Amino acid sequence: MTVSVRYWSWFRDLAGSERETFDLADDLSLSDLLALIRQRHPKFEEVRKSTLVAVGVEYQNADHRLKNGDEVSLFPPVQGG
Amino acid sequence: MRRELQMVKEPLDEEALRRGRSASTGAGAVLQFLGVVRGSEGDESIRALDYETFEPMAVHQFEKLFDALERRWPEVESVRLVHRMGSVAVGEASLWVEIVSPHRAEAFQACQWLIDEMKQVVPIWKKAVPR
Repeated sequence: MTVSVRYWSWFRDLAGSERETFDLADDLSLSDLLALIRQRHPKFEEVRKSTLVAVGVEYQNADHRLKNGDEVSLFPPVQGG
Repeated sequence: MRRELQMVKEPLDEEALRRGRSASTGAGAVLQFLGVVRGSEGDESIRALDYETFEPMAVHQFEKLFDALERRWPEVESVRLVHRMGSVAVGEASLWVEIVSPHRAEAFQACQWLIDEMKQVVPIWKKAVPR
């Protein structure tokens, strides 16, 4: 399956891009994808605790099962106001 | 409950927003909050804040907050919120919130709660533009 990952705010600098696609085996969870992202971009290891993750427009936990075509967003703590 | 959400690039027009108010004869409290960009972020003197959002998710999360606010304070009859995006200069408003309700207590509580929750879940980020 293919999943696209979008990086927001200063997480774009950690990834070196705004968007990437990952070709994954079926039935992987968000935590599997996050492990791959940390492998590809080791700087995400340092922000592990402050990383927020959404699939589509909803926050999801690490055990969330991914589907083909999902759009995953990674971003730092939000700062509206 | 009336609800209105805007995320805008232009400066906030407080007068136009005030003219857009609707309140029933049962409303005894109209609370308006204006968040303004400070001249410093931490120890750094700044010229502006540059706001960015993941808009579809921000709209969805705001809607969920409005739903929760309505459940928590069913007497609130109107919530309107405007957030600026892009570059907002020091002294300019980045956030405008209006709550209309029968009494002031729930208006103050709902406004405080909404802004606190927004700062936890709505995907908006700001970047300081140094002076």
